[in-house]
Amino acid sequence: MTARRIRITFRHFIHHSRLVQIGLIVALWFVGGQIGKALQLPIPGGVIGMSLALVLLMTGGVSLFSMKRGADWFLAEMLLFFVPAVLGVLDHREFLGLLGLKILAVILLSTVAVMAMTALTVDLIFRWSEKHERLAS
Amino acid sequence: MSDWPLSRLDPALHMLFWSAATVACYLLSKRIYRKWPKWWLTPLAAAPAALIVAALVLKEDYRDYFHSAGWLLALLGPATVAFAVPIYEQRALIRRHWPVLLAGMVVGSLVAMATSWGLAAALGLSGVLQLSLTPRSMSTPFAMQVSGEIGGIPDLTAIFVVMTGVFGAVIGEFLLARMNLRSALARGALFGVGAHGAGTAKAHQIGQVEGAVSGLVMVLVGLLNVLAAPALAHFLR
Repeated sequence: MTARRIRITFRHFIHHSRLVQIGLIVALWFVGGQIGKALQLPIPGGVIGMSLALVLLMTGGVSLFSMKRGADWFLAEMLLFFVPAVLGVLDHREFLGLLGLKILAVILLSTVAVMAMTALTVDLIFRWSEKHERLAS
Repeated sequence: MSDWPLSRLDPALHMLFWSAATVACYLLSKRIYRKWPKWWLTPLAAAPAALIVAALVLKEDYRDYFHSAGWLLALLGPATVAFAVPIYEQRALIRRHWPVLLAGMVVGSLVAMATSWGLAAALGLSGVLQLSLTPRSMSTPFAMQVSGEIGGIPDLTAIFVVMTGVFGAVIGEFLLARMNLRSALARGALFGVGAHGAGTAKAHQIGQVEGAVSGLVMVLVGLLNVLAAPALAHFLR
């Protein structure tokens, strides 16, 4: 019985501690990176770690509540991690001036095109398939 | 004025100072943005602006700043692991609609590469710049990988990726207000394909389904392109 009690206490602790969950997520990232390095995959450690996390969630190896709080924190604060990168861009003085403006134009116009085309494609197919499902049923 | 003590600070203290300053500027700008949601007050614009002012006042080099606060960038790795949770929560929806999402990813990737490359060529940018711009809409590790394979300069691509993220999050919100998109899938795919991680962060603010779809699509677009890179290299070189 004591073993069971310990297990329940442990689970309770993990489900309620955001810090432990953040630790678990960082550990998965680290393991993912090591796997990528060992197998020489051209895939970042975070993506391998994400696949591991998905497998663990699907198979029930880790319950959703052992990761949810930690994951929510990462997703809510993700923009913070980009802030130093933005300052890094400003270090490139060679892009001040006309060249920089041209590059900016490429990025802005292309991003508008990508977003509009992607969203329209998904939305049109989605509406079309919904209509067909309704007609079929 | 020339002997500010900051550059002579102990490296550990220097790191602590700039890391704390970055987090403080971020938290403050987040709070301000919540009150006044103007696009130029988004944490991705306001926080770096405040830090630049701080760096100028303290006569700090960006390189020294980056050396001390750059580790925050590494946290994008575990943030990617965290995508697993919303994807798992929305698994039924994703399983049901994966062909739609796949179509969006293929169209989005093709438009991204064709327009980046084509516009760069039309504006007379050099060949290396054209190739470095081509994979700019993916998340950094994927984009750098593809850039190297097709003959671009990965470090330049990393810069263009960040610019895409900063502007993409704003452009996405702008487009969302003007396009009549019925499905959350389309809204999520817009951010995930168009503006990688920065867009995904925005998508999570808009809705749970949007955030999950954006995270999934961002990762899959990266994988898709890394797999396609050798063929692409053959075509572009």
